Amino acid sequence: MIPVVVKISKMPSLRIDQSDLKCKNGCDYFGNPQWQGYCSKCHREQMQRQRKAEKASSATLPKPETKKPDRGLKITSHSSFSKFEEKRHRQSETLKKANLLKFSVFKKSSTDDHEHSSEKRPPEFKIPPQVNEGMKRDFRMRFPQLAQSRSKEPSLAVDRDCRAFVNSFIMDVIKCTNVMTVDELSERVQRQYQRFMKHMDTSAHFSHVDADTKELLMDFVEKHAMTYLHELPSIVFSPNGTEDERLDRAMSERIQQLSWVGERHLECRLDMNHAECRQLLYKAISELLGMDSALSPGDKLARVRRCCRHVLRLCSSSAPASADDLLPALIFTVLKANPPRLVSNINFVTRFCNAQRLMTGEGGYYFTNLCCAVSFIENLTAESLNMEKKEFDCYMAMPASIGGSAWAAALSLCGAAREADEQRALAHKLRAHTRTIHERADLLAANAKSFEEQIAKKVEDVLAKTPLEIKPRRELPRIGKFKEISTAPLIDLGTSHAHGEPEPPPETKPEPQPEPTVPQEPNITIQASENEPKLNILGFEVIERQSPSKSPQNLDQTWDLKQTSSLELLTPSPLGFTPFDSRSIDELMTPDDFGADQLPPGLSNINYDIDLSDFSGDNSIAEDAPKSDPKDPFSPEALKKTFDPFAPQTSRGYEALDSFDEFSFVDQRKQETDPFEVVHRGQDPFSPVDIAKDPFFSPPKQSTSILDDNDSPTSGCLLPSPMQPQSSGKPT
Amino acid sequence: MKVIEAKIVVLGSQGVGKTSLVVRYIGKMFSKHISPTIGASFFTCNINLENARVKLQVWDTAGQERFRSMAPMYYRNANAALLVFDITSVNSFAAIKGWVKELQSNVPEAMVLSVVGNKSDLEDLRAVQSSEAAQFAASIGAQYCETSALHDQQGIDQVFLNTAAALLKLSSSNLVSSLRSYDSADVDSTKIPTGTPTEEDATHTGKVELPAWSIDSIAHGDVQKNMCC
Repeated sequence: MIPVVVKISKMPSLRIDQSDLKCKNGCDYFGNPQWQGYCSKCHREQMQRQRKAEKASSATLPKPETKKPDRGLKITSHSSFSKFEEKRHRQSETLKKANLLKFSVFKKSSTDDHEHSSEKRPPEFKIPPQVNEGMKRDFRMRFPQLAQSRSKEPSLAVDRDCRAFVNSFIMDVIKCTNVMTVDELSERVQRQYQRFMKHMDTSAHFSHVDADTKELLMDFVEKHAMTYLHELPSIVFSPNGTEDERLDRAMSERIQQLSWVGERHLECRLDMNHAECRQLLYKAISELLGMDSALSPGDKLARVRRCCRHVLRLCSSSAPASADDLLPALIFTVLKANPPRLVSNINFVTRFCNAQRLMTGEGGYYFTNLCCAVSFIENLTAESLNMEKKEFDCYMAMPASIGGSAWAAALSLCGAAREADEQRALAHKLRAHTRTIHERADLLAANAKSFEEQIAKKVEDVLAKTPLEIKPRRELPRIGKFKEISTAPLIDLGTSHAHGEPEPPPETKPEPQPEPTVPQEPNITIQASENEPKLNILGFEVIERQSPSKSPQNLDQTWDLKQTSSLELLTPSPLGFTPFDSRSIDELMTPDDFGADQLPPGLSNINYDIDLSDFSGDNSIAEDAPKSDPKDPFSPEALKKTFDPFAPQTSRGYEALDSFDEFSFVDQRKQETDPFEVVHRGQDPFSPVDIAKDPFFSPPKQSTSILDDNDSPTSGCLLPSPMQPQSSGKPT
Repeated sequence: MKVIEAKIVVLGSQGVGKTSLVVRYIGKMFSKHISPTIGASFFTCNINLENARVKLQVWDTAGQERFRSMAPMYYRNANAALLVFDITSVNSFAAIKGWVKELQSNVPEAMVLSVVGNKSDLEDLRAVQSSEAAQFAASIGAQYCETSALHDQQGIDQVFLNTAAALLKLSSSNLVSSLRSYDSADVDSTKIPTGTPTEEDATHTGKVELPAWSIDSIAHGDVQKNMCC
């Protein structure tokens, strides 16, 4: 534990040492942070020196703002291949703007610093919180293994240490920037890097971090510190007191002048007519141009590395490229690219990149090559191109826009080709996309179709099932009642059973045949729809005339049933017939006048309910038969029977309609003219009675029959049974 | 396990076979896939010695005469130099002498030098006697090897191996600050990176065939201002 604590306390940025409190100049007085760590005397001296230096530098160097525009103009005026030029111009333009903005802000604060520092320290330069936030985020992204997998404490410490270092680093650089020359600053920065490296090696926080990760952390720290500093004008990038800007311009002009230098002068094997070669060169040039927009030295190095890899591929058509090939090709690339602020960028990297990285590694190697290329271009003579002095001078005297037009054309062609490629790739992508969309659409359509089919099939299945449920009911009752009906009317008509029986089946048979396929639904719906309107129509009429609310409905229903010619409704209604009882009771009130025959059953209904449940099995047959018998003889026997059974049984067309018309009219007339109730009751009760009596006695039968209906085969057996008694009753 | 990181620069006139030497060496290492993007101009390799690992960064240089003035940028901070000449060309051997002088005057820190006579397969055309070359090498404290990029894999391996061993020695003498050495945590010798020159134990070969090394074999230069772009 103790060594750990000691190590932590040794961390420079987190603790103030005794020595730190002394004047930085090394005189024995104590320093003061207000005086930048000097004692008052040394600080004054320092300030004077600084002001002098500043005056001198501002005198020798023209203001950057005034310098830049003419450079931009020159570039555009001489531009030979427009695309790069445009990019270059844009970059310098945006940067200039940023520079102007920040420059004024920052410059102001720093001058304030000088003027008022004696009485008060102006608001401390604050590092915007975005830097810290960005670091946190980036740290988590780049070192997930550090941020997550390890136990929380050390990883947090690593993160914190990095941020603390970056903060102190930035502050230190900004503090020193006015006091130090660039070389001193560079040295200081390098020492900072080393300090952090040492810190990583010694601190307990980094004990679990392996060497490779430390390198990455170093890069990480460098990147964030330098990215921020790079954006501040004239601090680290083409700083005050250097000739970077002037050299930039000089280099740019020089490169333009040398635009006539071709591949054969440099003895590099480049084939302008080869498309791939042009592409690679184009890529290399883009990377090189991108170097200016990268902010940290590490990123700039990465750009250079990518550029050089393209160049390497460019010259390694047959054998792996060696340095003998690389350097000329790179020189050529630089000449064709004419990257913006090349010298500033190179100086920035050499000064402020972690030296360890710059001296070693692939990036370092390529960067060295770039430096060589630049230095070669700077010192280019006739001799270095292996040509006559005269010829060289001749070339150099030539306007810059003429030379190298072939390559410029080739490259702009390349740019266009590249754009075309991109467009084509995009088109391909779009086409593929549309294809997939089409496929999906087809799939969707197929799905929809199959779904539809499935649904249709299901519906069919359901229909195929449900008809089986419904029809047997219809058919069987029909058959049964047909038998009754057929027999009854036939009997009435005087025809024999033999005729009656054969006739109805043909009638019944044709119905089921069409029904199962489609018309069942229609049937049902029609019935339902017919029911409702008729209910309404009739209901109005009936209600108007008749006082009892329920009875008319019953009547209507019965009417409907008759009209619609469906037995279904008849059968269901009896099943849910409990209301019917009450109605029958209501009816009983009215039927009092009507018939004695029905009264007893109506009255008995109430009492019987309970009793009959016991009886039902036995008595039903006995009672049904007698009751059916009396009904038949009753005046409308045939009619009634035609009512109930006919409507459903026979197709709606014939008898139902006939019967309906006749009877409805008749009924209505009766209702209108006569005390309808009597007649109606007389009719209704019959059917109700049939139903009512049947239900009371027969519901068990019917219910059984219905229950059995579900099991289609048995229904055939069971259903006839209720008929049989009737039929049997009739014959008997 | 001790790990040394060193930068080694390959110098020599154009056409002496620097590249083919390097390609031959890399080619063996990356026999399966020699990526054109890596090229032969820069590569890193790990050489495992008895008790240490040497991470070599090999920087090839352009041999053309017109790039001669740029050489300081390449050999700055280098820890070792391979001076390659063509045994059929006296001029290339003379150029080596020039390189040595330049190195000695420009590089402040101790450096491992190796003189390599390339194209030993062209014995018939030999223009530089091996005794002469060896004598010169001894005079500058370098070792001398003759190699052939065509046939002689052994010699090329030997060159790099010797250099690695010398670097190890150099690092232990603590004379050189730019030579980065540290103790690596991963002692696991099975986890040798692909750059290992010989798959079958570099250790014993390195041990057996090492020539005797003294501090004399390390060149010292006078301190002069470094050129820089």
